[in-house]
Amino acid sequence: MAFRRCLAIGLVGLVLTSMVSGPVRAADPLEAHAETFIASLADKAVQALTVEGAQRSERVSRFRRLFNDHFAVHGIAKWVLGRYWRRASDDERSEYLILFEDMIVVSYVDRFAGYTGEALAITKAVALNDDSAMVYSEIVRPTGGPPVRVDWRVATEDENLHVVDVVIEGTSMSTTLRSDFSSIIRREGGKVAGLLKVLRDKTKSLRQDLAK
Amino acid sequence: MFAGCATMPDPADKEAVAEFKEINDPGEPAMRAIFEFNLVLDKMVLKPAAEFYKGFIPPVLQSGVHNFLNNLRTPIILLNDVLQGKFERAGTTLSRFIVNTTVGVLGLSDKAAEMGMEYHNEDFGQTLAVWGADEGPYLMLPIFGPSNPRDAVGLAVDFLTDPINLWANNTNREEVVWARTGTRAVDERARNFDVIEDLEKSSLDFYATVRSLYRQRRKDEINDGKASGNMPAPGLGENSPFPMTIDGSEISQSK
Repeated sequence: MAFRRCLAIGLVGLVLTSMVSGPVRAADPLEAHAETFIASLADKAVQALTVEGAQRSERVSRFRRLFNDHFAVHGIAKWVLGRYWRRASDDERSEYLILFEDMIVVSYVDRFAGYTGEALAITKAVALNDDSAMVYSEIVRPTGGPPVRVDWRVATEDENLHVVDVVIEGTSMSTTLRSDFSSIIRREGGKVAGLLKVLRDKTKSLRQDLAK
Repeated sequence: MFAGCATMPDPADKEAVAEFKEINDPGEPAMRAIFEFNLVLDKMVLKPAAEFYKGFIPPVLQSGVHNFLNNLRTPIILLNDVLQGKFERAGTTLSRFIVNTTVGVLGLSDKAAEMGMEYHNEDFGQTLAVWGADEGPYLMLPIFGPSNPRDAVGLAVDFLTDPINLWANNTNREEVVWARTGTRAVDERARNFDVIEDLEKSSLDFYATVRSLYRQRRKDEINDGKASGNMPAPGLGENSPFPMTIDGSEISQSK
């Protein structure tokens, strides 16, 4: 009974507060939407990646689904390639998109479980323009010390929100990949084909590592 | 051929020229050689030391060492807070020192953070940036790792203005400086052990990845962690159209 009454008072209080001051956090609908989007992504990641006794291969395929559903995979892939995207042939483009997804999935499956998890706390969401926003979150380290800052950049694509970048302690996943990939292309004389070969080998070796 | 400089792109290719300027690593071949040297040194000395430290020293002791080293850095952080005109942060640094040196027993425990006063780092390289100094071309320093002329000057000034170093050098106790520097290197390496392993394994070009990460981290530190919304990102074009300033001092003062 006491609990119910508390709940009732709490609810009334909540309604009153929102009547007086309006919603304090995320006044902008995009900001509110972005915040819920990241919170639900984190929930799904916990469910999909931290299942006890789940096989590695099962976790990889779950992460692949999560990644495709919530990230602007092609948008990120094209941006990472930058000016070299225009130079690539149709065949190179389609192979690149497949390899990009593969590589991210195999190299991030373990890292991503650490970025989300139950210790993720969203601090705020800020709209950057009409269709993109930044969601700021913090992850409490199990080992103590200051929490890790993880900022999620989300953008509207086909009326749905998608993650376009993850920024950890100021370092962007997309920017880092772009530097990495373009350095390889330059080394290969500006040829996208050279990057594809390196990507093929890398994905293969990362897969073998995962299978261990 | 042992070329010391990166080859300039064809000046007619405007995009390639822009990319060359953005990478801003004119000594790349030489820098890569130094990077390889540092990696060998790391695998021979620092990595095994960090592995041992991580595996055999009790976590409580590890965090004690980390807190103690952070507390010893107070004079440098405080000086640079003030030089950057960040008086609120200077106050935090000073309060942290008082709390941690007393209640935290000589800085071994970070009681101040538990009271809501989180640690932050400052150095003279960041101060130079806030004063408007350009970072200059990328540099890979032997032993010290990724840097640039601005941060290398900062490193030297930090060393020369540190009271403990001054005291040790004036009283012929160089071993104190060595012990502290060594412990700090092992502590840092051990704390970032998994991240480094991961990056080395998953990046296509580890050198280029480290170069990019170093610049991003420095930018983030200069802006006191408040500028990630300004970064170029997919779907938003090369230059984000937002009126926010990237100037560190302004962003931090508006807080």
